[in-house]
Amino acid sequence: MDKIIDLDKAKAFLLEFLQQEADPKSIEWLLVQKEKIQSESSYLKFYMAFGQASRYFKKYLLQPSESQKNEANTLLQGFRPDTWDQLQTARTYLLLHFEERDPTSWVTAMNKLFETGDMHEQQSLYAAIPLMPFQKEMKDRAIEGLRTNISSIFDAIALNNPYPAANFDERAWNQMVIKSIFLLRPLYQIEGADERANPQLANILIDFAHERWAAGRKVMPELWRFVGPFINEENIKDIEVVLQTGDPLQEKAALLACIKSSFDKARNLLDENHVIKEAIETGGITWESIGKEFQETLPK
Amino acid sequence: MEMFIDPHIHVVSRTTDDYEAMRKAGIVAIIEPAFWLGQPRTEVGSFKDYFSTLVGWERFRAKQFGIVHYCTMGLNSKEANNVPLAEEVMELLPLYVGKEGVVAIGEIGYDDQTEAEDRFYRLQLELAKEVNLPVLIHTPHRDKKKGTYRSMDVSEEHGLPPSMVIVDHNNEETVKEVLDRGYWAAFTIYPHTKMGSERMAEIVKHYGPERIIVDSAADWGISDPLAVPKTAALMRKMGIPEEHIRMTCYQNALTAYSQSGQMDEMDWLKPEPIDQRERQFGNSVLRGGQTPRVEGSDIVEN
Repeated sequence: MDKIIDLDKAKAFLLEFLQQEADPKSIEWLLVQKEKIQSESSYLKFYMAFGQASRYFKKYLLQPSESQKNEANTLLQGFRPDTWDQLQTARTYLLLHFEERDPTSWVTAMNKLFETGDMHEQQSLYAAIPLMPFQKEMKDRAIEGLRTNISSIFDAIALNNPYPAANFDERAWNQMVIKSIFLLRPLYQIEGADERANPQLANILIDFAHERWAAGRKVMPELWRFVGPFINEENIKDIEVVLQTGDPLQEKAALLACIKSSFDKARNLLDENHVIKEAIETGGITWESIGKEFQETLPK
Repeated sequence: MEMFIDPHIHVVSRTTDDYEAMRKAGIVAIIEPAFWLGQPRTEVGSFKDYFSTLVGWERFRAKQFGIVHYCTMGLNSKEANNVPLAEEVMELLPLYVGKEGVVAIGEIGYDDQTEAEDRFYRLQLELAKEVNLPVLIHTPHRDKKKGTYRSMDVSEEHGLPPSMVIVDHNNEETVKEVLDRGYWAAFTIYPHTKMGSERMAEIVKHYGPERIIVDSAADWGISDPLAVPKTAALMRKMGIPEEHIRMTCYQNALTAYSQSGQMDEMDWLKPEPIDQRERQFGNSVLRGGQTPRVEGSDIVEN
């Protein structure tokens, strides 16, 4: 499970972005700090540099080219630099130069950083976990992070991050998806969503939908993605309810969920709605398009 | 709409009703000085979590009501008297002074004016110099005049320019000396105690608006989170010029604390986030089904 990242490549890759996009004076500062962190192995210097980076780098999103996106994926499956900003890139670059030989001291050093971090620092740290030299040892920390009420921090773990799918057990994974739904996060940005779908999660989400409906409220359309592969005699009734809401977005989501089902009645529902079925089969309706459309309906 | 800054308020102890009222009254930005909790802490971990709250959760909470939250970091004078604990806190402070939105070292200074208070006050003046941050001085409530003068004497001994130092909790007896020596003079408007709005207005009438700052210092005690806008309204009623109101209830605080490089008017004038990921925040301050009230905030229903 613990995939070894080529750390040198990762460092060079991150630096390349910053050199491309940030102020040369900031790069100069970064390289001096990196040397200090490497040579003095002082915790305080490292922590201070990690914090001070905000005085040198902006929170502008990186602008990776197509080839850089591919390169990112080769380095680490699911690594999405287009969702990273310059400041977190600089912070991660510094972090990867903080060399700890054994996992225990690495976790100790990281925990202190997590515990004293401000919002953006924590965001950077959680997103950086899949690039860290010791990963499975960071699992408890990542799960702890999901308990936050600050959604930018939650997002750093749950969205565009390959770590949870690769490392979380089913309980933690399900908790993450449920909380994402509760917070109305764009679920299509969860890495490994289909691979980690499971019947237990589908059941919890059906219960959640019933609870919301009983209160006269709606559930987000992307929820049905996690039910699709487990449609059965019982919950097909819920899919049918959604198809009768008169809300085209909800209907598209219910039918897209049926695509993953081998249950006869689900296949029939698709056939009955052949226009949408066709749009699904030709890629016109995807979880991403539904998720994006739904996010547009939220207050800005 | 008229804009106010409350440059001294302990919002960790205020409710969401307060936040809502503050925003409605025109408060766009606040500064939360690190202070004590009404009773002394006994573990350094309590300080750590408190400091983390100031740069984390409280900032997020304020943002949900459309208010930009900044803070100052420091070991307060009361708790400086627990020397072993104070020493541990001093080791912790360097981790926090460089965080985003930390606009000063403070509130520091004297309470009982003990030897321990003096020692940690001086250490923190040095820290402020090292990281090039302004200083917020808490002047003592007892033996105030002497304590205030001593705070300035010691600050000068350590070579801090008065323009980088905000002296808070002034009254009629201290203001002249503080202004004459070139410091920023802040006034805490407390109902019943210290300064009231009327007295404040008289001071502005007498001394003019230069380097005078109005704040609420609202905390867990009887205090008023709307003290700044209320004082502004009273000043207007008493015929104080608009520009003087703007200076004392907004601009002076901004000028003093933006010397940190961590506070910028654009933070609230142009609040659209650079970071598209932050456009919609989940929330936990509002409970399920509630509708966000602040237009353009990050609150979503959940």
